[in-house]
Amino acid sequence: MAKLASQAPVPVFVAQGDDAPAETARLCLNSTLTIVETPRAAAILLVAGTIPASLIPNLHRLHDQLPHPRATVFWQAEPTDLLSEAVTVRNDDNLVSVLTDTRSSLLSGSHGTEADLLPDAPPNEWRGVGSHGQGGKGMMGGTPYGRPMAMTAADFRDGLELDAYTADFGPFLPMFPPGLVLTLTLQGDVIQKVSVVHLPFAGEGNAGAALLRLLGLPALAKRLLRGPSDDADFKRLIRLSGVRAAIPPGLGCAPIGSDVRERFERLTTDPGNPSKVHVDGVGLGDLLIGLEWHEAMLVLNSFDDESLRAICANTSSPELEEKNGDSMDHEGHAGHMS
Amino acid sequence: MTTLITIFLVLGLSVLFTAGLRTASGTDLADHITNPQQRPVLGGSDPKTHAWQRFHVRYYTMTLVLVAFEMEMMFMYPWAVVFVEEGPKALAEMGMFLTILSVGILYGWREGIFRWE
Repeated sequence: MAKLASQAPVPVFVAQGDDAPAETARLCLNSTLTIVETPRAAAILLVAGTIPASLIPNLHRLHDQLPHPRATVFWQAEPTDLLSEAVTVRNDDNLVSVLTDTRSSLLSGSHGTEADLLPDAPPNEWRGVGSHGQGGKGMMGGTPYGRPMAMTAADFRDGLELDAYTADFGPFLPMFPPGLVLTLTLQGDVIQKVSVVHLPFAGEGNAGAALLRLLGLPALAKRLLRGPSDDADFKRLIRLSGVRAAIPPGLGCAPIGSDVRERFERLTTDPGNPSKVHVDGVGLGDLLIGLEWHEAMLVLNSFDDESLRAICANTSSPELEEKNGDSMDHEGHAGHMS
Repeated sequence: MTTLITIFLVLGLSVLFTAGLRTASGTDLADHITNPQQRPVLGGSDPKTHAWQRFHVRYYTMTLVLVAFEMEMMFMYPWAVVFVEEGPKALAEMGMFLTILSVGILYGWREGIFRWE
């Protein structure tokens, strides 16, 4: 059974770091690998490129979400202290054969599964303010599963006070540009507040392919990654798919000057030369607040890396300013228990 | 008797099938799901609050309009058949029914659901 299973494509979740090899985006073209969208579906966590010290706790959280048996492979990166036993791949190694071999040895049992890095305990004690653990603020009081209940806040659309969900998203979320961490406050799936925790990594960018994947056209995304975009067939397929109509008109336009449709067309027809946008003084709040989740993801992925970094830098972000103000010797593992 | 045997046979087979599935996935069920694995997938980040939250179902007014108009029509088809036999009695019943439904439509009107946005 293990032998049969090892012949199937290897499910890999890619955690992209800074200076990730250019080949990372094109891994999905390899038929022996399946690049999965969630760590729950992966057997191998592939860490491509250097993970900054401030994001190492995020990597460890991600690692623990992979089901057993699991393994971590560092590709052109140094393993973290807690993952020092992980497989390391250098420039000259054949990454794909290392991944398939690791998967086979995981299944045969010769490579033991990696244990959790974080303690098996809820982030807070599951107790309310009352003497018997009952009561407290929020919808029901207490901290079920160690997390406080969401508090009410006014919806900016009509002032209706319902529970506002606040969470950090990223840096290894497949629909986010790699490295980007945002604190988002949502009412339902409408974005109410946004602040930047970590800027996206600078890279060569594959926004066109990312947009096509988001729009449900993975085959065309692969075709774009594969090669010459001046292919007339490719342009015809894009036109026939009707994907242009699936992007709401005017989305992500003000005050940039071009909307997502326009940027999408440029990215798919001429990816090497993305349209320049006017980002002076434009923050993510101007672009994302009031959008539903899927629209916000389209907007985020429609920029080239340089413009997106500029927009994120313009966004008011208390956490980022605090970090920049701090000395550089911050502790890498802070927030593990949070 | 044959019907009874068939029912018990189907019941027995479905119990066997379920038991087989539970046994096959036994290793997964037996595993303790650790606290780090219970986290929602946020790409490595940690949620600040529990995901259990109330949010406004904004399509509820449209649901109200659907119920008001659709339910009306569903009742009208069988009513049209018995109307021939019953006459004014059926007409009065339909009148009462439409009055109740129109309260919902008036409420929707007050809420502004017929305004084009």
